[in-house]
Amino acid sequence: MTSDNNVELRVRALESLLLEKGLVEAPAIDEIIDLFENRLGPQNGGKVVVRAWTDPAFKARLLANATEAIVEMGYDAVQGEDMVVVENTPEIHNVVVCTLCSCFPWATLGLPPVWYKSAPYRARAASDPRGVLVEFGTEISDEAQVRVWDSNAELRYMVLPERPAGTGAMNEDELLALVTRDSMIGVTRAQNP
Amino acid sequence: MNGIHDMGGVHGYGPIDREEDEPVFHHAWEGKALALARVGLAGGHFDLDEFRHAMERIAPVQYLSISYYERWLEGTLMMLDAKGVVSAEEFQTRLDELSKSSGGGA
Amino acid sequence: MKITRDVVLGLYKNTGTARVDADVAASFKVGDIIQARIINPTGHTRLPRYVRGKQGRIATDHGVFKFADSLARGGGNQPQHLYSVRFDARELWGGDAKPQDCLYIDLWDDYLERAE
Repeated sequence: MTSDNNVELRVRALESLLLEKGLVEAPAIDEIIDLFENRLGPQNGGKVVVRAWTDPAFKARLLANATEAIVEMGYDAVQGEDMVVVENTPEIHNVVVCTLCSCFPWATLGLPPVWYKSAPYRARAASDPRGVLVEFGTEISDEAQVRVWDSNAELRYMVLPERPAGTGAMNEDELLALVTRDSMIGVTRAQNP
Repeated sequence: MNGIHDMGGVHGYGPIDREEDEPVFHHAWEGKALALARVGLAGGHFDLDEFRHAMERIAPVQYLSISYYERWLEGTLMMLDAKGVVSAEEFQTRLDELSKSSGGGA
Repeated sequence: MKITRDVVLGLYKNTGTARVDADVAASFKVGDIIQARIINPTGHTRLPRYVRGKQGRIATDHGVFKFADSLARGGGNQPQHLYSVRFDARELWGGDAKPQDCLYIDLWDDYLERAE
């Protein structure tokens, strides 16, 4: 529809009109951008995962009522979203998509990456999750079960990846470094030490 | 609606293109586009579901060709016009003014 | 309402849930086998085409939520139960899918009917 030059101008045009009409003030725009760019992000989800790996009672609460458990950790919902956390095991591998748009657990993972919102992912994660996982370098056995979660309503889904082997002696910071955004979407596992 | 956005199971979109360590916003205007949509929603000018439906109504070729945050901008403009907050005419007038003052624009 | 910085800070604190505190009866319960309705709306719906007419099982009752399809046309909340429904991959995509694989999607009461 437009080149980058033109879309930047269009955004400026809209911003100037909303400011002039007194519908928003400039610091509010900056605040929203700062929230999404700097304060939200997968580091929050990583901490939820690490706590679940190291605190069985918290993990139980997380799986029973993720919304409350995440609020407990201080990562309040952004769009007021109700959260569900689904656990990966050796037998079950979960992967999350929004086939209709781009719904994503902002409260724990921030804004989604471009690929999550792209047509190839939205189309194939639903119908060929194993093929998608192969594309991400993730091998799933023939016997394991793959569960796709299509986030089409107002519940937001996050995967609790399996804790990698050989991490028993690691501290929380070391564990946090193994938890990637991709592993909390479900397209990869957590990294090995 | 049975629009182009309803993508589950569709074939032919090719491989999933991934960027290593991508930034949250690739351009400053993307953050602004997101923020202005949130302003529209927060101000009660339009509802989240109406906003999603607006984006679904972007013509299929455009929907697939423009970038994600440009869809957000288009959806916001459609809703603000529909709700009488910022008409398409006044937006175009402002756009023309900015185009001229930036030396002809795009 | 003018969106000031304080308004923004206030908004991003656990507001805007789509859950509704309304006493609405559920048409289905966990374990029920349902069929997603075959609908063809020109308006907004969150029932994707790939699920319509397919049979699945109610896995969870999430409780009562605002109904997106209604809100998008200015029809108000129409609060109703929202269920996590599990569909076998083979039901959706045919025999090439693994028999044990499945897909979960959240479907409102209005999208569902009892399977024959």
